Amino acid sequence: MLDDFDVITLILLLFPFLMSIVMLTITGMVSESSRRKLAPVWRMVSLGVSMALFIVASMMFTGQIGGVDWTGIGFNEYKFVYQYEWISSLGITWQVGLDALSFPMVWLTTFLLPVTIIATWDEKKGAVYHPLILMMGATLLGVFVSLDLFMFYIFWELTLIPMFFLILKWGGKDRKYASQKFFIYTFTASVIMLLGLITMYFSMPSNTEIAMDNAGEYTGRTFDLLEITSIAQSANAGGVWLENLHLIIFAMLMIGFLVKLPAAPFHTWLPDAHVQAPTGGSMLLAGVMLKMGAYGMFRIPATLFPHALEHFQFVLMLFGFVSLVYGAIVCLGQTNLKKMVAYSSVSHMGVILLGIASMQPIGWAAALFMMFAHGIISPMLFAVCGAFKHHYHSMEIGAMRGMAKHSPWLATSMMFGWMASLGLPLLAGFVAEFLLLIAYWHEFGWWILGPGLALAITAAYYLWSMQRTIFEGGEETQPPKEMEGKPIPDISDMEKVAMLILAGFTILFGIFPAIALDMMSDWTVTMFETLFGGA
Amino acid sequence: MTQRLVEAFDANFFSLFTAEVTLFIGLILLILIPNLGKGTFRLPGTQVRIPWFLGGQRFEWNANPRLPSLIALLIMVSATIQMGMRVFTESDSILVHATGDASVRILSANPFSNLMEFFFFLALTLVIMASINRLDVKDPKDKSISTLYNNRRQADFYILILTCALGMSIVALAENLFVLFVGLELASFSTYILVAFNKESKEGSESGMKYFIVGSAASGVGLYGLSLLYLWSGSLQIDILAEAWAGIEQETLPYVALGLVLVGFGFKISAAPFHFAAPDAYAGAPSTISGLLATASKAMGMIGIIKILLVITQPEALEGSAIWLWTIALLSVITMFWGNLAALGSDNPKRMLAYSSVAHAGYMLAAITAAGLWNISGDASAQDDAIQASRTVLAAILFHLGVLIAFKLGAFLVLSLLEMESNVKSSDAIAGLAKRSPMLAVAMFIFMLSLAGVPPLSGFLSKLLVLLGIIKVAIANSASSSFLGIDVHWVWGLALAMGVNSAISVYYYLRVGVVMFFHEPVESRQGPLPRGSMIRISIAICVILTVGLGVSGEFLLDVCRSAADYLMPMMRGL
Repeated sequence: MLDDFDVITLILLLFPFLMSIVMLTITGMVSESSRRKLAPVWRMVSLGVSMALFIVASMMFTGQIGGVDWTGIGFNEYKFVYQYEWISSLGITWQVGLDALSFPMVWLTTFLLPVTIIATWDEKKGAVYHPLILMMGATLLGVFVSLDLFMFYIFWELTLIPMFFLILKWGGKDRKYASQKFFIYTFTASVIMLLGLITMYFSMPSNTEIAMDNAGEYTGRTFDLLEITSIAQSANAGGVWLENLHLIIFAMLMIGFLVKLPAAPFHTWLPDAHVQAPTGGSMLLAGVMLKMGAYGMFRIPATLFPHALEHFQFVLMLFGFVSLVYGAIVCLGQTNLKKMVAYSSVSHMGVILLGIASMQPIGWAAALFMMFAHGIISPMLFAVCGAFKHHYHSMEIGAMRGMAKHSPWLATSMMFGWMASLGLPLLAGFVAEFLLLIAYWHEFGWWILGPGLALAITAAYYLWSMQRTIFEGGEETQPPKEMEGKPIPDISDMEKVAMLILAGFTILFGIFPAIALDMMSDWTVTMFETLFGGA
Repeated sequence: MTQRLVEAFDANFFSLFTAEVTLFIGLILLILIPNLGKGTFRLPGTQVRIPWFLGGQRFEWNANPRLPSLIALLIMVSATIQMGMRVFTESDSILVHATGDASVRILSANPFSNLMEFFFFLALTLVIMASINRLDVKDPKDKSISTLYNNRRQADFYILILTCALGMSIVALAENLFVLFVGLELASFSTYILVAFNKESKEGSESGMKYFIVGSAASGVGLYGLSLLYLWSGSLQIDILAEAWAGIEQETLPYVALGLVLVGFGFKISAAPFHFAAPDAYAGAPSTISGLLATASKAMGMIGIIKILLVITQPEALEGSAIWLWTIALLSVITMFWGNLAALGSDNPKRMLAYSSVAHAGYMLAAITAAGLWNISGDASAQDDAIQASRTVLAAILFHLGVLIAFKLGAFLVLSLLEMESNVKSSDAIAGLAKRSPMLAVAMFIFMLSLAGVPPLSGFLSKLLVLLGIIKVAIANSASSSFLGIDVHWVWGLALAMGVNSAISVYYYLRVGVVMFFHEPVESRQGPLPRGSMIRISIAICVILTVGLGVSGEFLLDVCRSAADYLMPMMRGL
């Protein structure tokens, strides 16, 4: 075995990226008829590559590669760090690394890639679809592993391109509108974020005042997140870093992340994108891409500007609260299954925001675990929606009734997913919600009635939609006997496999949350102590 | 960096300017070679015919109508290589003065001019390569008039391109505003004709006419400004003007002159409100020439702006910021908004690219504004910071002008491949391009993303550098003013405007992608695209440059920095 595993993060990132580029290039060069023959080959290759990634990430998780014990990793302490000089005149490095914040997200991405490919196995999408899914995964991995702000921004924007094509090429009827809205909306927010990043870059002391390893030769500053963090920490210990600008920089960064999350009222791109996206795109979008927003909040503004976080605590809480309640109420009125699930994502992202705003280690841990749990559960919801659409050619909630009778597999998967999402105990979502409510009570007291009420509404819309699809089929509304002259199909074997995998992990992390929660809570505790002096 | 003095037209002169001399020789060859033939001269009163090789029937070796394009390509490539060697090896500057009088400066070859000339030659090389297919020769066995005309004008086209190159070199080299103006007009007149080169189509002649009339008016106004400057200082030499400006007192004449000169150059970079001819000119010209206007010609205007605003009108005497700071800031904001909003509504991809070119002019003017701002507080460390900031801005402008060649010209080259079928008049032309040629559609999409500034393409890097420069200046000067209650100088608002505009622009760039990947090809454009191998090669070069310079643009950035370093002492009077 290798002695030095630090380069593994880089391989994890570059391998799928290069593979997808190679596949896309070959596809672009061959004729139309060979392209059709290539499609199943590329599907297998993509599955193989993503399985390999998943195995490597899991071995890193268990410590078989690199021998890292993920629990007890402190704040600003990174494993598998690999650094390479890139644009040295501006202080830009190619730097990757993992910690307890990013590693669960990396693992989740590698986990979802094969599951996504399996869940959409039977859909005929041609030779470009699967390489694009792989590229999507690679860019997402890039966001989570980069420890250089410039590199982070590059991958942050790159994620838009494969998703834009996934929606544009394989989406629903309004895909043109949805994909452009998605791209422009999030791009605008990112540009504001970029302005904030640059303003921060030049506001920080130059290397003539503070010793820096990776300072740019011309600018005297660095984009290296590790160095910026240590500068910010030493400044924050005695006062406030960048006292005259920290609020506006914080706000500009947060705009980028709030739109990505998305928090109401910046959420309007999400329902469109989700409803129009193909199943695989939705699964990755909800599973990992939304988490980029929360990840970014922890990684940059919260780490560097804790005083601004304190200053905006109540505003963030309001954003989270409004997203939670508004998302839940809108869900009640939805007749489109996928739109309902999309709005439920908005609602759950509100929970994450509440966790961040609670300013408690336990609340932060709850937010991290929510990111993780929602990353497993929501792909299942979208897989169910995809299967529903795939087999019944409709997304309307009332379009198919009595599923329990004729499609027991789909009905069970749907019920399981819905239950996990509304926070049934012993499933992963419950742990996060429970922790959050504790933290929320500590910080805001009786305001807790709000989230409590919202969770009740969540239960209501999920149960109601189940009632209208799975069970209803009494005397007045008999379930249909057949569809287009054929018996009503249940989900295919590959879809069953994907559902079983997702359900299995939901149960696993519901019963043994400590597998992931320990490292998260260790990390958030040290983060809190470092930022706020162990209060 | 050492300076060498050379007398004009002495023995050393020609060996120092080999690239320009190559161009000149190429020009003469292009005029001569197609005219060589079996012409004879009859001695009067006798039947003796003396062959003198001009006119008459051509020889076999020069009868090929493709010959001019090959000569032009050869000359341009060799000039580009020579200039590239000069850029990457030479750091001296050479000052050419008039015979016998070292104080009369005419030309100066320095890192800045070398870099700009390199950009011009590179762009023109790509244009020539693409034109070989775009304005193809017709089969010379066909004796019809149109074929004859078409093959005849091959030589004209490439002669004009070479004069254009020569004029642009003079603009880059000029140390005297009058010399600069001569170079500018030489290049401009070539482009006026080149724009109208599509004379078979109505749009071609119309756009050429419009561009010529508006362009001459702008030149006239600029020339009037120059004459007022001359009236004021008694010289148009750049260093003398700069010195005079440093000692300026409350006078109106030089300010009026400055404003008039700005009109002349504002037209060249198509800044609003002097941009009105640009969309028509771009839409009517052959796409290769539109690409030339949007890249090399614009860079030429930028040189004029840099020389006048940053080198001559030094702000020392005016309390830390240039007199034109507000004017240019306002102009830049108007330009970028106008360009982007107008581009939103244009269906013709060529017009859209023209307006996007207007918007990019706005971004560059914003950068210029930042470079014109000084540290006001005056303490040493802040002074140093401000100098660094101006250097970043300048390098960013130069870098932007360079990489613009890759993706702006590249986009026009894709359109010129489509023009080989029929003229590009609306977005129908690119509809379903992905189905007809996936690689070409991907290339076009890369150019669009780069124009929009999506990482990691070079368009992102250049936009980032401009933003870096502006924000750096704003923060270095934060003590002197605030913007909307934030503790930064108000030029920070320009960065914000750029951000907003980038967001607006994404819409129309993405729409190109949607039309290419989503729409069905129209009936008149079915099946595979024309071969156009030279265009395809130049598109491939553009794609490689667009991606490559974005991922590893360090070396070009270093060159841009040393060019900016050369300008700095002149700007600061250091």
